[in-house]
Amino acid sequence: MSGGRLRLSVNGRPTELADVPPEERLLDTVRWRLGLKGTKEGCRTGECGACTVLRDGHAVLSCLLLARDADGAAITTIEGVRSDPVGERVRAAFESAGALQCGYCTPGFVMALTGLLREAGRSTPLDELLEDLGGNLCRCTGYSTIVRAARAAREGLP
Amino acid sequence: MAPFELVAPATPDEAIAELGALGASDAVPLAGGTDLLFDLDDGRLAPRRVVSLRRLPWQTLDWNGPILTVGSTLPLRRLETDPEVRTRLPGLYTAVRAVGSVALRHQATLGGNLGRSAPASDLVPMLLALDAEIDLVGPQGARTVPVDQFVIGSRRTALRPAELIRSVRFPEPRPSAYLWQRVRPFRDISQMAVAVAYSPARARWRVAVAGFPPRPLLVPEVEDALGPVLPPARSDLDRGAHVLSTRAPIVGDKRASEAYRRQIVRPLLERAVRRASGEKAGS
Repeated sequence: MSGGRLRLSVNGRPTELADVPPEERLLDTVRWRLGLKGTKEGCRTGECGACTVLRDGHAVLSCLLLARDADGAAITTIEGVRSDPVGERVRAAFESAGALQCGYCTPGFVMALTGLLREAGRSTPLDELLEDLGGNLCRCTGYSTIVRAARAAREGLP
Repeated sequence: MAPFELVAPATPDEAIAELGALGASDAVPLAGGTDLLFDLDDGRLAPRRVVSLRRLPWQTLDWNGPILTVGSTLPLRRLETDPEVRTRLPGLYTAVRAVGSVALRHQATLGGNLGRSAPASDLVPMLLALDAEIDLVGPQGARTVPVDQFVIGSRRTALRPAELIRSVRFPEPRPSAYLWQRVRPFRDISQMAVAVAYSPARARWRVAVAGFPPRPLLVPEVEDALGPVLPPARSDLDRGAHVLSTRAPIVGDKRASEAYRRQIVRPLLERAVRRASGEKAGS
């Protein structure tokens, strides 16, 4: 990691960055160095889930992750979610259900739900799945359509 | 945030050397980072070096007969999704799920939670009730410390300079439960929490309370009152709840008053013991 070098796979593309300061958060790397503005900054304290991305297939909070501590990881952001079959199903379910109002929380919800369904498929009971989605906040309180989208995405899984 | 150097050694020996080369306030270990980064941000900690533990071979979970050993850098989410943890240590499963969100638990670790020893930790009380032992490794070699001698105060542990938490051992499966009171049920800090576990080997209940400073603690007088059997007699449970409410060293702080905590701890204990005993939580 000398010289602040950081190697990532971002949405399937090998990415090498130089001069990344140790304190930089993955959130800022993704948004400002890579220009992937779909990942949102909400609270920056790990409370709201707006900055959720996948690291090696699992949902993480990019605001609480030092970018260089993710060295070598495969990162998936909302911009790359369609290349994952589960991610595309989730995205389509949000679209069909109209599960957004202002849209700011939507990328985080889609990534969090994608991570959960990739982990367990339909084996997680619906009430537990919804509890597990509780790490994402929607300030518009548009939860009923989000729940509908989550249910539909889960039902469609094999 | 003050500038620091970030290193990620591949072996425990290298990590210990990286920490030991500087003083304790100049070099800090980084596990999941979900708590440490706040102290780095606001300057409560201003180390010259941050030693990431992510490359150490400690992301492990092993069952050896009745004994569970959890590597200190295993993400909490992997502890929670182990099917045997859920059935054999149900209170641990519940306590882990009380920490943050799924995404946070993909980052946060058991070692980090212990090493940071926040007074409102949801894991430390459960570890107390389960008699967890902490395996440490440092410049002077390895040693094992029971969790009640490891967390010694608010943000204070028995860790020596450059010493690291290698793993946490749970001696036996125990019927167990963890319950809490919060302003919001999830993703909030507990105002009051109760962890209970029944040890078949010792024929004894273990009861820990948490949520107030300076640290989570066992309450042996309550364990005595609950008696040696599972489930306890109704009169013993009543007495245990009374002893806990009136005699435990509960204090008030900005999150709840002492009077409120002493009142809420009664039903929390009763429900936790009933849940550990296999009954549905009563209201």
